[in-house]
Amino acid sequence: MKLMRNLKRISALLLTVFVTLGLVQPAKAATPVTITIWSFGNVIEPWAITEYKKLHPEVTLQIKKGELDAHHQSLITAFLAKKTPDIAAVEVSYSGYFRSYPSYFEDLRKAPYNSATIEKDYLDWRWDQGVGYDGTVFGLPTDVGGMQVAYRVDLFKKHGLPTDRKAVGELWPTWEKFISTGQKYNSKLTTAEKDSCKKKKICYGFIDNAGTIYNAVLNQASAKYYENNNTKDGKLIYSTNPAVKKAFDTTTKALKANIGTRINSFTSDWNVGMNNGIFATILAPAWMMDYIKQQAPKTKGKWDIADLPGGGGNLGGSQLTIPKSAKNKTAAWEFMSWYLAPAQQLTIFKKYGLFPSASSLYDDAALKNYKDPFFNNAPVGAIYTAGALQLKPIFEGKKQRAIDNIFGQALSRVAIGKQTPAAAWQQALSEIKKSVG
Amino acid sequence: MNNKSPVSDASQTSGNSNGRRGRRTAAPSPWRADAQPGAPKKRKPSRRDESGSIRALNPGWGYVFTAPFFIMFLIFGLAPVVYSTYIAFFNWDPLELEHPFVGFDNFALLLDDGQFWMAVGNTFSIWFFSTIPAMIMSIGLAAILRNPNLKAATFWRTILLVPNITSVLAIAIIFGQLFGRDFGLINLMLDIFGFDRHIDWITEQIPSHIAIATMITWRWVGYNSLIFLAAMLAIPNELYESASLDGASKWQTFRYVTLPQLRNTITFVLIVGTIGGLQVFAEPLTLGGNFNGGDSRQFSTLTLFLYEQAFVNNKWGYAAAVGIMITLIVLVISAINFWLTRRIASEDSK
Repeated sequence: MKLMRNLKRISALLLTVFVTLGLVQPAKAATPVTITIWSFGNVIEPWAITEYKKLHPEVTLQIKKGELDAHHQSLITAFLAKKTPDIAAVEVSYSGYFRSYPSYFEDLRKAPYNSATIEKDYLDWRWDQGVGYDGTVFGLPTDVGGMQVAYRVDLFKKHGLPTDRKAVGELWPTWEKFISTGQKYNSKLTTAEKDSCKKKKICYGFIDNAGTIYNAVLNQASAKYYENNNTKDGKLIYSTNPAVKKAFDTTTKALKANIGTRINSFTSDWNVGMNNGIFATILAPAWMMDYIKQQAPKTKGKWDIADLPGGGGNLGGSQLTIPKSAKNKTAAWEFMSWYLAPAQQLTIFKKYGLFPSASSLYDDAALKNYKDPFFNNAPVGAIYTAGALQLKPIFEGKKQRAIDNIFGQALSRVAIGKQTPAAAWQQALSEIKKSVG
Repeated sequence: MNNKSPVSDASQTSGNSNGRRGRRTAAPSPWRADAQPGAPKKRKPSRRDESGSIRALNPGWGYVFTAPFFIMFLIFGLAPVVYSTYIAFFNWDPLELEHPFVGFDNFALLLDDGQFWMAVGNTFSIWFFSTIPAMIMSIGLAAILRNPNLKAATFWRTILLVPNITSVLAIAIIFGQLFGRDFGLINLMLDIFGFDRHIDWITEQIPSHIAIATMITWRWVGYNSLIFLAAMLAIPNELYESASLDGASKWQTFRYVTLPQLRNTITFVLIVGTIGGLQVFAEPLTLGGNFNGGDSRQFSTLTLFLYEQAFVNNKWGYAAAVGIMITLIVLVISAINFWLTRRIASEDSK
């Protein structure tokens, strides 16, 4: 009996101890949370994941990376099924579509997000790309796809062109001069290189794909295919906007002048071309630098960056959004606001080349003085800043991407000689009319 | 006691001893004791007690056992088809809250759509390039595999299935590289044979169809040849014996004995191949890298066109209309197929 009584006392004591320990929680312990993120390309860089884990060990980031179009298509179905991720990346060309449907996203102006407090930190026209037709702020800007020209110093030297980046930038203040520089480069191709085209069908050229000129020229204008008439869908102006015809004509001129190697970006031929010096220039948004580094690491130090003809360009960029059906909105916002804060954007730029949309950085010495050894120590920070500041905001409308697609196909047909530029233009217009209106 | 299997019994047109009774039924199965001619109508207690077998169960159980399939079919097969048919009559943008009814407008637009007819033409062209050579190759392969003197026959028969179980994506990536314009192996081979220029297998229309057809053929030849092999092995040896007695050459034997017996199998392979071939999707998608089917839509197929309308242009109603048209086309082709082989078969038995 004495044993039983002691046992009871001991177990009561132990019970009390454990219950007390259980009730007294350490002050900082938080419930573990998993944030699901749907993204594409290099929007969410790996460094962010490891760094955020250090800061918030209870948060696990689950990232699903998709191919650009597939990602947005599955986002639409996710919205309908109400099974969305906590954070979704939306590319700029698609934001034209999603701005008509802001009801599927959290309005970041409202509490607890209060986006108005951080709005001043960001480049105004990049911020506007995350605003819906009714003023809802549905996304925050990540990077600026500021465009310049990445060129191969060694190949320029070989073919009689200047190599200093300032001199190179002065070669082509206009697109016409860019095309003629390309023709000059091609005329200086060695016999071996010209033979290679005839015999081995490996054709050397000035630029990887002259078709990329289209978007570069178009994005230098102040309006593209739509006009903001404060309605949900925007007003179609693709057939009347002279900037569109100008971009199309400049590109067809470049195609006819045969300055490109007709290799499409992001294909295996393109990687081969980069590695073997088949083309000497690429129209490079800031985020392209990382692709070049990854696909052609052996060409380190052989590249440099020069100014884009026409001054400044933009391609790509994205917004991070919180869908309405997200489960962990507060945790998602904490990550998002951290990741897109100016300090993190600067680190991401240095590591991965994504040019920050946080305009408060543009005066920062760290950005201005940053030099990239892969690109011959070019001051890429200063170069892309200058480009970004020259850009005018462009209104992206609802069927932006479909129209881009159709013009792209038209230019490809001109590139392979299947159609004359005039016929391709007419066909593109009628296809757009049928598809979009 | 009959030693032949009941199957061949039933297909013999020669009379059998039971015909004397005047019954025009098929030859009796040897194992049903009560079906022997002259057997009493009353059932003798048979050696096997059937009370525990399936036949003794309540027929309701039959429905229970087949229910899982039908439930799955209802949810994943029928319901989407009904939904698609419904939205084909609307202007359906997925994220919109309201969808205006447009009646047959989608269909009218479709029939007027040059891109749709291009897709139809491309699909049939690819079908032609893939089905006919594949059929010939399968029958040829099956004839080779039938040879009883073939060493390691099981190994060869197994290997034939490997292309079929390989991921379509992997195949498309590899073939995409093989057919590359500048560095692809096929063009390099053409160089060796003295061809003066590279064929652009992707941007030119007919070469792109041949490239896609090659992928499809590579995938299905093995599978189809195994089907033909099975059919060939079922051809009774008597026919071959009587052919050799008549002095037929190998080729004549093949042409007049083997091929006619394969008629049903050819029909089956043709119909299944048509249904699959008219819905080619993965190969053009991976070859082109996007949903257009090439910049001039040179290999845009029907299913690819449907996907493009649904998920690139966000026109679900229009895409549903395309889906219905695909079904109609497949039905028409299958009907023609069926009628054609019926006619040939009935001509045969005259």
